[in-house]
Amino acid sequence: MAEAASSTIEKNNLTLKSSYGDEFVLEESIAIQSVTIKNMVEDGCSSSVIPLSKVDTGTLIKVIEYMKMHSSTSSNEEEIQNFDKEFVRISIKTILNILEAANFLDIRSLLDLCAEAVANRIKNKTPEVVRKIFNITSDFTPEEEAEIRNETPWAFEGDLDHSLD
Amino acid sequence: MMPPKGRKNRRSLGPDVISNLPDNVIDVILMRLPCKDAVRTSILSKKWRYHWCRLTKLKLDESLWKTKKDKLSPTVKFTKIIYQILTLHEGPINKFKLDVVDSKRCPTIDNFIYFLSRNDIQHLVLHFPWQKIYKMPSSLFECSQLRHLTLHDCSIHPPSAFKGFSSLVSLELCRVTISFELLESLINHCPLLERLVLQVSEILNIIEINAPMLKSFDFTGSISSLCLKNVPLLTKASLHLYQGSSVEAENFYLAKFFESCFALEHVSLYFGDKFDYACADQAPTRLPFDHNRVKHFYVPYMNPRESYKLSYYLCLIRSFSYLESFETEVLNLHDAGVVESLELERFSDVIFNHLKEVKLKIFSGMTHEMQLIKLFLAKSPVLVRVLIDPSYLCIKNLISLDRRSEIFAEFSNFFRASPKAEVVYMYLDNQTSRFNQIVNFD
Repeated sequence: MAEAASSTIEKNNLTLKSSYGDEFVLEESIAIQSVTIKNMVEDGCSSSVIPLSKVDTGTLIKVIEYMKMHSSTSSNEEEIQNFDKEFVRISIKTILNILEAANFLDIRSLLDLCAEAVANRIKNKTPEVVRKIFNITSDFTPEEEAEIRNETPWAFEGDLDHSLD
Repeated sequence: MMPPKGRKNRRSLGPDVISNLPDNVIDVILMRLPCKDAVRTSILSKKWRYHWCRLTKLKLDESLWKTKKDKLSPTVKFTKIIYQILTLHEGPINKFKLDVVDSKRCPTIDNFIYFLSRNDIQHLVLHFPWQKIYKMPSSLFECSQLRHLTLHDCSIHPPSAFKGFSSLVSLELCRVTISFELLESLINHCPLLERLVLQVSEILNIIEINAPMLKSFDFTGSISSLCLKNVPLLTKASLHLYQGSSVEAENFYLAKFFESCFALEHVSLYFGDKFDYACADQAPTRLPFDHNRVKHFYVPYMNPRESYKLSYYLCLIRSFSYLESFETEVLNLHDAGVVESLELERFSDVIFNHLKEVKLKIFSGMTHEMQLIKLFLAKSPVLVRVLIDPSYLCIKNLISLDRRSEIFAEFSNFFRASPKAEVVYMYLDNQTSRFNQIVNFD
């Protein structure tokens, strides 16, 4: 009796494959937070393994962790908020990887969360510090830089933060 | 399946990941930055040089030009900044917000509004300095794509040929100088309007509102200046009322308001200071009709000493015959003693047949609060709970433990029309911000 009941309500599972070839089995109801995956399911391309050639294993683990939390019915708003706060307390490199994956997988709330975290590392900082944090190399000559500063001088005024945190 | 253990992220990402993100992702990041920070990214590298210029959302406020060293006057500087943004920006700007509430003077932004009107602006929010009435340029009325318009502290004059904002869904006008004819015509020429916020500081003539799609209406002013003609979908109203000509007139127009807003389900009502001196018997006992759609009634402050206001709230509670929930915050500075209008005998002809929940924020066990609870318990046959928030009382230690246990005992003695009714103490736990039930009497 119990077995029969459980087989009828058996949940649909999907298999996601990272760019390293690692496979992850996930309930369909959780995975379709990704619009990209949802579209694949609706188009009937989900019977086999879904290859995510742009998402590496480490990033995929984080994305799945996020989707599981956000689809859980047992967690309340506040638990989710705390989860989000902790979720982005990781290296900026990892955040950027997740941001890229969230864009590819089309998970809007995750994209927003990571974009906010990135913006917070830019806010109120000097351009030199922002370049250091994100590993950006300037390809401007000093003259060109001076011209840009001159174009919108007000954007470079005020007490800007020199710290790397 | 668990991922294989011990494998590290081997993929080698270029040293500059952020610059190689797709443009739309960089947009999402830049849109989360204050304008100044977004503009500053232009110097990072050639890839970033013009990225901010294509942003579709701009938000400008005083922080842009507030610097210690600056010798230019703020408004001159702001005007300069605006010109630079205008010159550099390319493509549509859908959303624009200007907030200069704290400025002593108002920058001239006519050219900017003109620019926006030709760049598909959909969402425009302008907060000008208090009491420096900025005269909006007529190009505002050429923003034909507008869906949201919020204006605070300025004056507007729609041109005579103005045909309305055909896509406008939300309109907020606070302390905006406009003649009542033009205000009426402006509102009535927005056929899709769903949300209207109106704060009128002076007493106007009567404006007739014809808004077939209106769902939510937030009004601050004198109710006698309003006449809602056609609002079949209006379900939420929040009123903060100033007294107009006389209390009698206000009573009349307020009743008329509830009559015309027959679809209302949520009502929030607050009477301003001028009603303080009106007497209880100046308020009606009931509206001339029963309003049978209102389900939720919220009174931000209820002071038992202000007898007119209290009587009017009770009048509405009597007249909202399908009321399901009532919420208020009773002002408790002093015990007002027994309040006559709350006595059970005054409600001999009333039963709150649908009332399920009553919520009292800030509860300190004063006589009038006990009366209110007694009344709802006795008159509500389907009442599920009376929620009271005692955190004020607990923090301030206003009441001794003995008195608290007396209060508990009193609750259990009250007659309950509903066998299910409970009085529940909510406890607002600051760390979890959740209401936890700490005491439950049944």
